[in-house]
Amino acid sequence: MTVALRLSEITHRHGAGDRASLDGVSLEVAPGETVALLGSSGAGKTTLLALIDGRLHGWRGTANVLGRALLPDRIQPGSERAEVGFIFQEFALVDRATVRQNVLNGRLGRTNTLRAFFGQFSAADMVAAERAMADTGIADLASRRADSLSGGQRQRVAIARCLAQEPRLILADEPVSNLDPTRASDILGLITGAAQARGATVLFSSHQPDLARRFASRILGMRNGCIKFDSPADRLDANMIEDLYREELADPRTALRLVV
Amino acid sequence: MRAAPGASFWAGLAVVAAVLWASVSSDMAPGRLLSSGGRIADFLDRMLPPDLSVMPEIWKGTAETLRIAILGTAGAVIASIPLGLMASDTLAPGWLSRPVRFILALIRAIPLILVAMLMVGAVGLGPLPGVIAVAFHATGMLAKFYAEAIDGVARPPVEALESAGAGTLLRLRYAIWPQMAPVVARDTIFRFELNLRESLILGIVGAGGIGFYIQTYVRSFQYDKAATVTIAVAVMVVAIEGLNAFLRRRLS
Repeated sequence: MTVALRLSEITHRHGAGDRASLDGVSLEVAPGETVALLGSSGAGKTTLLALIDGRLHGWRGTANVLGRALLPDRIQPGSERAEVGFIFQEFALVDRATVRQNVLNGRLGRTNTLRAFFGQFSAADMVAAERAMADTGIADLASRRADSLSGGQRQRVAIARCLAQEPRLILADEPVSNLDPTRASDILGLITGAAQARGATVLFSSHQPDLARRFASRILGMRNGCIKFDSPADRLDANMIEDLYREELADPRTALRLVV
Repeated sequence: MRAAPGASFWAGLAVVAAVLWASVSSDMAPGRLLSSGGRIADFLDRMLPPDLSVMPEIWKGTAETLRIAILGTAGAVIASIPLGLMASDTLAPGWLSRPVRFILALIRAIPLILVAMLMVGAVGLGPLPGVIAVAFHATGMLAKFYAEAIDGVARPPVEALESAGAGTLLRLRYAIWPQMAPVVARDTIFRFELNLRESLILGIVGAGGIGFYIQTYVRSFQYDKAATVTIAVAVMVVAIEGLNAFLRRRLS
């Protein structure tokens, strides 16, 4: 496999007559790369990630994820979906379930359906879940209910669920948008570190250029559904950022968020 | 200048008109109530003191009513699981969920006592027609509640499990069920309370339970015995309500 991801001329509209949320996006990502998607809200980052995760319908173009063609009208089998892990912005945990069960939920695409229905997970499932909980520092919370945790702990559960899936490609939608700078770099360090240890490719979206530069090797800038620039992280310069956030920078209130 | 009469004026007028129409056309002469004071006093006198010698019948009738409510609720739960899934907007396609919802509305529209009378005609006297009637009648409400519980769950966890590769069965088991379980428990307990209350009178049409004794004693002018049964029913209803309130607190 030479590429983890190859998209070509992807176009998508949320509704007929809407502005294109993805407008001719083409992209190649090599295995093991860590790529950041920069762009303001509405730039198309979430839509692009949902597409790669196989949850978007009604798009046009060609998409190849981990060597398999993604088709807009075909639902992929569980084992194929399990290869791509997704860390949701709002964590999407099952509140009344324990931390361990939430993490084991990441195994549901890999394990036997009938056995899992009756709560029987395989030894491999348990090992993957325990390892994911240890790596994210939540092993001692395993028996707690998800709704009894703090926001930071919940996010770690969401990351652990994704890691338990043993994905070869990890997608993260704004994983640090609501965190203070220290927590933000902790979480991004955790995701990219765990991915590297597992040899997984990472694609995360953010609107914090400094964090993107620190944790990604390559940065894509999105605006109005198009990829505006595609740059190695160390070549990212102020003009690119300015171009990407033109409207936000014109407004002092949003500009402040970009500076700090 | 005065404002034109608004919607509240017309609504008020409609209510007054409805009450007037009902009282004029139902022979509600207040004098009739006053002049029958003696008869009411006599009636109350014959109820007092309640005849406690019927306690064995009360226990027997109460136990049978309880059995009807338990089996009727169990039957309704069993029927409501598939019907609830079929009536759900998020799990079933529209061509299935819409007709199922319509049928459930029809079932709810038939009063329990009517179903019980038909069942007595079909399967004969005793608790069996009562159980069938309660199960049938309660399914109309319970299946609708179950469908609403399914449709009311938060979608993101369901989507997250889908993203991890979980099929429909496992999404139902690990994302939808944990979220809907407390709602299902609460709705089922609520329906059990209603079933118990409603099955108290099933005996009047011969469908078993304590209602049979109320019917028998009133018809044979044994008002002191009927009074005991009435008190027993009231105590039971209050007890069920208390139990239900307790369970609901525990579930929240």
